[in-house]
Amino acid sequence: MRSLWKSIILGSVAAIALSAASLPALAQGKTLKFVSWQKDERGVGDWWASVIKEFETKNPGVKVEWTKVERGAYADTMTTLFAGGKPPEIVHLASFEFQKFADQGWLEDLGPYIKASGLNLEGWAGQNACQWKGKPVCVMMLYFGNIFAYNEEMLKKEGIAPPTNWAEYLAAARKLTKDTNGDGIPDQFGTGHETKGGGGQYLSELMNYTLDAGGRWTDANGKVTINTPQMIEGLARWKEVVKNALTPRDLSAGETRQMFADGRIAMKLDGPWLYPIILRGKAKDQIRIAAPPFNPPLGGSSNILGMASEIPADTKKLVWDFIAIATSDKFQTDYATLAASTPPSPRAKTDGAKAATPHFDLLVQTAQAASKAGVDRIPKGLEIQYNEFAKMIMEESQRMIIQDLDPKAVAATMQAKAEAIQKQ
Amino acid sequence: MAGGRFGLDLARPSRQHWLGYILLAPAVLLIAAIIVYPLFVSVDLSFQNVGIARLDQPRRPFTTANYERLFTSPDFWNACWVTFKLILVVTLACCLLGLGTALLVNNRFRGRSVARLFVAMPWAVPEVIAVVIFAWIFDSSFGLMNWVFLSLGLIDRTINWFSDPAAAFAVVATTMIWKGYPFVSIMCLAGLQSIPEDYYAAARVDGANAWQRLVHITLPNLRPVLGVTTILVMLWIFRDFSIIYVLTGGGPLKATQTLSIMTYEQAFSFFRMGYASAIGVVTLIFCIIAAKLMMRRAPDVL
Repeated sequence: MRSLWKSIILGSVAAIALSAASLPALAQGKTLKFVSWQKDERGVGDWWASVIKEFETKNPGVKVEWTKVERGAYADTMTTLFAGGKPPEIVHLASFEFQKFADQGWLEDLGPYIKASGLNLEGWAGQNACQWKGKPVCVMMLYFGNIFAYNEEMLKKEGIAPPTNWAEYLAAARKLTKDTNGDGIPDQFGTGHETKGGGGQYLSELMNYTLDAGGRWTDANGKVTINTPQMIEGLARWKEVVKNALTPRDLSAGETRQMFADGRIAMKLDGPWLYPIILRGKAKDQIRIAAPPFNPPLGGSSNILGMASEIPADTKKLVWDFIAIATSDKFQTDYATLAASTPPSPRAKTDGAKAATPHFDLLVQTAQAASKAGVDRIPKGLEIQYNEFAKMIMEESQRMIIQDLDPKAVAATMQAKAEAIQKQ
Repeated sequence: MAGGRFGLDLARPSRQHWLGYILLAPAVLLIAAIIVYPLFVSVDLSFQNVGIARLDQPRRPFTTANYERLFTSPDFWNACWVTFKLILVVTLACCLLGLGTALLVNNRFRGRSVARLFVAMPWAVPEVIAVVIFAWIFDSSFGLMNWVFLSLGLIDRTINWFSDPAAAFAVVATTMIWKGYPFVSIMCLAGLQSIPEDYYAAARVDGANAWQRLVHITLPNLRPVLGVTTILVMLWIFRDFSIIYVLTGGGPLKATQTLSIMTYEQAFSFFRMGYASAIGVVTLIFCIIAAKLMMRRAPDVL
């Protein structure tokens, strides 16, 4: 029995000694977790893959475990991972949700890394939104401006020129909404918006109209400014479009985009991501892209890249390497070409993108126009309460349409509720 | 060997029950780990002001603020009312439809096996797939239902199924009934097959008609099965999340927001896990009360 114990002890000591000797090898075999909803997205997904490939080439023995999580389940999954103490080392979040994670102290202050690496974020689109309590906790990966896509054939058939303002847009939408097969159900729509689903997307769709009417949710100081004549006008326009069924009802954003690409919707206001969907649609040859008839166009920050704070120092260095590759001039240039989107870096070369994407200059112009007008989907002063705010705006707008309420009264209700949410 | 290495003689009559406890221990420990522990954590969180919960965080001060807020919140009472309506409508419809189809396929006729298969089929369809199918059937612009209603002249303009509170509730209830009735049907069919044929033969001799045989023989004999099934259906509606979440997300205007949807929204959309835990605890209490009341009505079995 004694000899058995002796063997066990000796064996254990030998195992520990061997493990210690192989520690550097284990460090070499490190894996960084990277969760993203963009994995299968044509264009931007390819760009992420190229960043990962470059990172793995530069860091032999270090692998990036790239996992896709659907956008609908993203916030829950990331919350669970962080709350369970197992966050992905490389953090990819939407620009409207990272604030909650930063507020918990889960995102590393990138200031020292930016300084040490000499990364110049001067003129980096949307980067101001990444400041949390005075510290940069992320790098903005996309700041976009909406484009206006229309089905030229449908407009020509009705003798309509592409609209350049709200009045023309409304007249065109009315004329283009019709029942083409006579079964009593409208099957062609003037425009298309998501009216079902999350508050965030609903808010973005609605903002196309409120911005053009001159309205803002909050002012530069974060004070709620919904009960204003401009916002009331914006809400009235939204009611006009939705209540009169100039847009198909109860569809998700993806379904609406597909309907437009297939020629069932005549006009669409959307971000740069609409173009790859158009290219796969039945009506791709009929669709033209132009500047939005609304001013300023809807725009804003989209998604961010950051670093989990509760990971070892050597892992943080590796994560920064990943961020450094993604934000390098070369990969920002590739981003423009592969993702057909406006790269946030002012140093990105866009010649290749212009050749591949005919309307690329327009994307840059609308992003700049939105940026110049200080437009963002996340209202200042309501960043932390964004989800609750967006849900409230969606519900009050739905109430306005379902119960046929006066936009003036709805704006007053929204103002009171938004102030209450802000005070929580 | 009788005493074993640990001196535990399980063959002794006074220790024979120990074997039972030992065999049960892994299951009990597993249940404690995956059900009882989270339950305690949930109750504990409901008495704290917690945004995003982490187990390694220090405990926040004890507070009843979550419950005070809950009981004064119109949204909570609305969710209770929606849950109650849904339970009433769906349970009743599931029981009637389930019993009806069970009686139908209990008869002998050509193609009975196929009929039984069709009755049970919705139960086998994964919930999310069923929901997606129903979402398209009731699509406001291109759905089958509006076309059928318009073709039959029942409506003169399309119904916005997911933008109208009453219509959205009807869609959710219909989907739940379609998904839930086969379970009742299967349970009732099993119950029907256990009723001795002699009862019916004797009743026929006494001149009882079909209705009298149903009321005086079938239903009393099915009562224990129906009691258990009703409780299970009710609890399923209480906790079901995916049907409502995928179809309507609780909207429009909270017309389909049940307690489970409200819990999820508060926890994962608004990151108020303390408050969400309080809703979860109250839902649990409601479930226990409802199950207890139903158990009293089915004393023969439970």
